[in-house]
Amino acid sequence: MEIHTYEKVWLALSLVLIVGFIATIAYGASAGPGIDMIDDKGGTVDPATLDEHPKFGDPGIEKTGENQYDVYVVARQFVFEPGTSEPLRVPEGSTVTFHVTAADVIHGFEVVGTNANTMAIPGQVAEFTVEFDEAGEYGILCNEYCGSGHHVMEGTILVMEQSEFDSWYEQQEQQTGGEN
Amino acid sequence: MATTRSDRAFVDKFPHEAAIVKATFLVAFVALGIGAFFGLIQALHRTNVLRVIESADYYTMLTGHGVLLAIVFTIFFLCGVFHWAVARSLNRPAESRLFSWAWVGLMTTGTVLTTVAILGGLVPNLGMSADVLFTFYAPLQAHPLFYIGLAMFIVGTWLAGADWFLSYRAWRANNSGERIPLQTFMVLTTMIMWYVSTIGVAVSVVFFLIPWSLGLIESVNPLLTRTLFWYFGHPIVYFWLMPAYLMWYTVLPKLAGGRLFSDPLARVVFLLFLLLSTPVGIHHQYLDPGIAEGFKFIAMTNTMFLLLPSLLTAFTVVASMEHGARQRGGKGYVRWLGALPWRDPAFTGMALAGAMFAAGGFSGMINAGMNINYLIHNTLWVPGHFHLTVGTAVALTMMAGSYWLVPQVTGTKLYSRPIGLLQVIMWFVGMVFMSNAMHRAGLAGIPRRTAEPQYQNFEFLTPIGSIFELRVQIALGGTLLFLSVVLFLFNILLTSLGDESDRPVDAALPEPLSGPEGSPRILDNLAMWTGIAALLVILAYTLPLAGIIQNGGGLFGGGLPVPATLSAGLDFVVVTVSSAFNTLLGVIA
Amino acid sequence: MAVDSTAEGAAAAPASHASDTEGVPADAASQSSSGQADPRADSIVGAADDDIVREIEHDDFDPVGTLVLVLIYMSILIGMWVFMYFIEFLGRGLTVVG
Repeated sequence: MEIHTYEKVWLALSLVLIVGFIATIAYGASAGPGIDMIDDKGGTVDPATLDEHPKFGDPGIEKTGENQYDVYVVARQFVFEPGTSEPLRVPEGSTVTFHVTAADVIHGFEVVGTNANTMAIPGQVAEFTVEFDEAGEYGILCNEYCGSGHHVMEGTILVMEQSEFDSWYEQQEQQTGGEN
Repeated sequence: MATTRSDRAFVDKFPHEAAIVKATFLVAFVALGIGAFFGLIQALHRTNVLRVIESADYYTMLTGHGVLLAIVFTIFFLCGVFHWAVARSLNRPAESRLFSWAWVGLMTTGTVLTTVAILGGLVPNLGMSADVLFTFYAPLQAHPLFYIGLAMFIVGTWLAGADWFLSYRAWRANNSGERIPLQTFMVLTTMIMWYVSTIGVAVSVVFFLIPWSLGLIESVNPLLTRTLFWYFGHPIVYFWLMPAYLMWYTVLPKLAGGRLFSDPLARVVFLLFLLLSTPVGIHHQYLDPGIAEGFKFIAMTNTMFLLLPSLLTAFTVVASMEHGARQRGGKGYVRWLGALPWRDPAFTGMALAGAMFAAGGFSGMINAGMNINYLIHNTLWVPGHFHLTVGTAVALTMMAGSYWLVPQVTGTKLYSRPIGLLQVIMWFVGMVFMSNAMHRAGLAGIPRRTAEPQYQNFEFLTPIGSIFELRVQIALGGTLLFLSVVLFLFNILLTSLGDESDRPVDAALPEPLSGPEGSPRILDNLAMWTGIAALLVILAYTLPLAGIIQNGGGLFGGGLPVPATLSAGLDFVVVTVSSAFNTLLGVIA
Repeated sequence: MAVDSTAEGAAAAPASHASDTEGVPADAASQSSSGQADPRADSIVGAADDDIVREIEHDDFDPVGTLVLVLIYMSILIGMWVFMYFIEFLGRGLTVVG
């Protein structure tokens, strides 16, 4: 089959470009930047009985090790729990693993201006880990249409100084300690 | 009058086919008008320039905008173009007029039902609504009429495809040794892709969403119906694009005063789309939980290779235009661009559409990149992207193509070429404003599909310019786009009301520079390519779907978790996909 | 030979410029490409081939202008990709690392 030389050159360059794109993505996933994808590691959960779930029944932050935390978030029309009625508090310099699920319909969980972004799907748990280096504040918003009040679904993440966070966390523990 | 042109104009040669084309175009253009009006309201509302509706109604209009433009306008127009192309290139009428009208009727009925269900959301106390957007992700639920209308519409497109296959079969009976005419080849490969890909949405709608909306089943598995949607949702992108490609390959070279550079490569391109359009849908779900990273990586690899047919198209189509420019006396490395017929709205519209597709191709590459997708997922970047692709590459090509096609089915001259030229340029300029601002707003984190993306607790930041400037650009661009549609509809309406002309357009299509004679006949073996396409789909989707059903709560969202062995199948998928490529690349080389 | 067996193509000489101009006094050589075309041709859509000053056949055509354009396009693509990936994306905080 006859193809003009110029077009063969273009075909070859196009293939190099495509392979280059795939290689870039593979580099991003490699040890260097170490970007991990949202996947099936978070497991599943029954959305109908979310309130009785040991973690999602009372979502929030939980210390799991030195500078290591787990955060459970429930997205429901039109709030993040925690995040909306009270900020989602994390300490600076920590590594935080989020577990995000949805109670009613599909939602999005986007930390504004960052690469932390996931879908929240009923029945599925999105699990991902990020590092909070500095104290400060981030906005959270729902970026998947979830109903007539979708545009009011927002929240905040408060990255606190370690000592401040510790005293807040201790207080929380004491308040809920009796129940557990 | 008609007798003097009877050997030339499509409407004289194929009056019944021309009537079908007119009917499909009519539905398409009505949908375009309503959809564009909703688009204007949204552009002004979300930028807080002018809010004439409640924010809750924004989502009703957004659903209408998406369904009427991305499904009704594009696909009805496609049906018209394909019906024209099959009759023209096979040089024979459709086998049964009744059958043709049956699919037009079924698709139109489905469209009306779905539109009624959507617009019902604007009427308080009616108890009917379908504010579920174009993607209708469960557990958001629409009125049953929405899904039933959609199912009728899809079945209608299947029948339309059957119509064209019947024409082809009848033609083949008298032309056993011939190569399939290029336009018919494009129609048939596109329809095979459509048959393969609509299975997903058909299963989702018929087995899950209709019974669920009628209360026959209690729940659905949200990740399953979402995955089935995207199984269909990405190939539909190519279903929009293929009529535009058909016009770029077979009409644009003529409009430029040239000839198609290579017929065989056009066939290869359409086959690549047939093979790769469907096993890529998971790239819309990079940030979904419940789908293993390996499946996402496979979807990305397939998606990236889908760039190949579009990059090849860029070369072939530009070369065909260059051929025209040089025949018209063009010189130099880039000066020849000035020798193109820029005063012809059909040419200029398609050329500008192609230029925008090049830009949209870039933002699509970012969308396709598995991990960089975190940056832009569900932000305004994404609609910024697809307003360049379906919103310009496809829509502007269809409008520009109308200036050349409509006179062929009405027998009347285009009412005004200067208004047509103004219209396509206005679309281009409007889209430059709106789309660049949407991309940049997306990088600032502004979400898509949101009535009031202005929040209490935080501000969006953009490194260059300001958020205010982005809003102004979106509102201005949206306004220009709407005015462009008004001009288009006005021009087409007056064209259809005009007097019969003995030469409504120059309808002749020249032969390609490089014809199909030298290309392998295996390219025309549609049965074989269908088989490979189906195999690729089975390989790319069986394991992810099994995983979603087994781990994610069963078919209806209540099953038992069963471990699925995934990695063994992965290697097999990779090997098969790559060997299918090697086959095709072998054909090229 | 005529593969796209069109109504028009069938009537035209194979592998030639199949312009549908029977009965129309279109003398290509008499027209310049400077835009001073016959007003009749100017008033209908798709008449670009009325302004053809020379027929260029397959073997006489090297799409060098196309090659220039697509190479410019590819260099833009590569530059933008590098910028988007390494500066916009990897340069941001809060990246998913596990």
